[in-house]
Amino acid sequence: MSKIMTVDVLSSIKGAQPSEAVSKLFDVIKNAQATNNTSSFNNNHNNGVSLNNLRDDVVIESSALEKQIIKDNFPKEKDGYLVVSKVIDA
Amino acid sequence: MDRKISCTGLVQEKLNLLKENTNNTVNSLLTELALERAAKVDTKIANGETIGLLEGIPFGIKDVYMLQGTYTTASSDLLKNYKSAYTATAIQKLLDAGAIPIVKENCDSFGHGSSSENTIFGAVKNAINPELVGGGSSGGSAVNVAKDYTVFSIGGDTGGSVRQPAGYNNIYGLKPTYGRISRYGLMAYASSTDCVGPLAKSVEDIRIVLNTMSGKDTKDQTTYTSKTIEEKSILNAADIKTVGYFKNFIESEAIDAQIKDDFLASIEKIKAKGIEVKELDFFKSDILVSTYYTLAMAETASNLSRLDGTNYGDRIDNKDLKESYAITRSEKFSEETKRRIVGGNQVLSQGFSDEIYLKSLALRDSISENFEKDFEQVDIILSPVTPSTPPKIGASLKDPLAMYLSDAYTVGFSLGQLPTLTIPQGTKTGLQVTAAKNNDELVLKFANFLKDTI
Repeated sequence: MSKIMTVDVLSSIKGAQPSEAVSKLFDVIKNAQATNNTSSFNNNHNNGVSLNNLRDDVVIESSALEKQIIKDNFPKEKDGYLVVSKVIDA
Repeated sequence: MDRKISCTGLVQEKLNLLKENTNNTVNSLLTELALERAAKVDTKIANGETIGLLEGIPFGIKDVYMLQGTYTTASSDLLKNYKSAYTATAIQKLLDAGAIPIVKENCDSFGHGSSSENTIFGAVKNAINPELVGGGSSGGSAVNVAKDYTVFSIGGDTGGSVRQPAGYNNIYGLKPTYGRISRYGLMAYASSTDCVGPLAKSVEDIRIVLNTMSGKDTKDQTTYTSKTIEEKSILNAADIKTVGYFKNFIESEAIDAQIKDDFLASIEKIKAKGIEVKELDFFKSDILVSTYYTLAMAETASNLSRLDGTNYGDRIDNKDLKESYAITRSEKFSEETKRRIVGGNQVLSQGFSDEIYLKSLALRDSISENFEKDFEQVDIILSPVTPSTPPKIGASLKDPLAMYLSDAYTVGFSLGQLPTLTIPQGTKTGLQVTAAKNNDELVLKFANFLKDTI
């Protein structure tokens, strides 16, 4: 089922509206001419990593201090677990 | 004047200055950590051990970098109580070299701004005239260096956030080539242009800090291996034969008359040294600014989508998870941050993405190609840092479009991922020195040359 998502829903920001200042920037892009073939996609600033250069696929154990800080940052905690509101798939 | 001071004495002196400062540069002081590290350096000196170049040097950190156990707020309401669980690679390298972090510095929230007014810690006041903005987004870092509260500071530059405040406060500020310094542990704004950048009072300090932080890091796969820049290799600029500047930057109606005259006077002094100067064609400022902001907003919308108050950050609970996300983000993000997230989601959505987002990517390619052609003709590109002098505090927040357009001279080099240094010379807000990708050494070399030339 297709559903139209408005920017406030997409952004998870209540009452969000497109801004006039930002729309003016977008108008400049709509009217601009790229000097090269506009179908080119990201070919000059390719920061991809070669397959031979990928980092090792290993699990690195966090230190006890790191784990403790992560728990301290929980907005709500109970018995060492994160507490969240009820999940309803609307 | 030379004077003898212990490391603890020096660090305490800087902490006192920061504590008393009225420029709103401090988000949190790292008193305990700093004094503990200073005492270790004093012990080493007392034992006659050799100490490194950066050992015992007090420095500041823009409050978007992770430093384990310290508050890292991004100057935002959402993260005002957040503590870093780990340390950023760039900061860790400075710690390993013995430098002493003393302060987390005020900035625009998540780097969203050009004036350091978009912050919960109060607008940063300019080091030279406190009625004016400190610049942004690394405003607190620039002011701290300018006021000698820190010896150097580490800012972050996505579209000019190190170079512009450096210019507004008359110091040096470098945006290195993208990928030279690891971004691991830097809160992401726009990942494809985010750069770690040092601010300091001399080219030499910039060189030392840059060398210390550079290098490949498996935790940021966009990093590359770079060569150390030696002191002697940047002293003689005889190999720099040709300098270019963008004609349209200088002929623009938006440029302040004094900045234009001062820039052209600097060009004449460079010509008088026998260097050939070429006028170059470039994209119009509004295209540069719009391309940059379109891509930066798209990237920040994605990067900040993780901030929903679930795992960390302040949370406002509501009837279900979705409502909790929405209320938390609505209440805890600033107006500017929300504007950028909404703009980003607009351009990434169906119907907009081809016309705006993909076209911006194509424009970015054209801009990069333009740079590549320019650097076949010239060794260095010189530009003003900003079209005008710093605005009064309060003015930028009223007119976001004007604020975006004030980034006209810095954003192009970010899109090109080029090394660019602001020097505190040439115009009231300095000059930008740019070289081809990976040629940070040439930038520092030309900056040394300009020190004695203009």
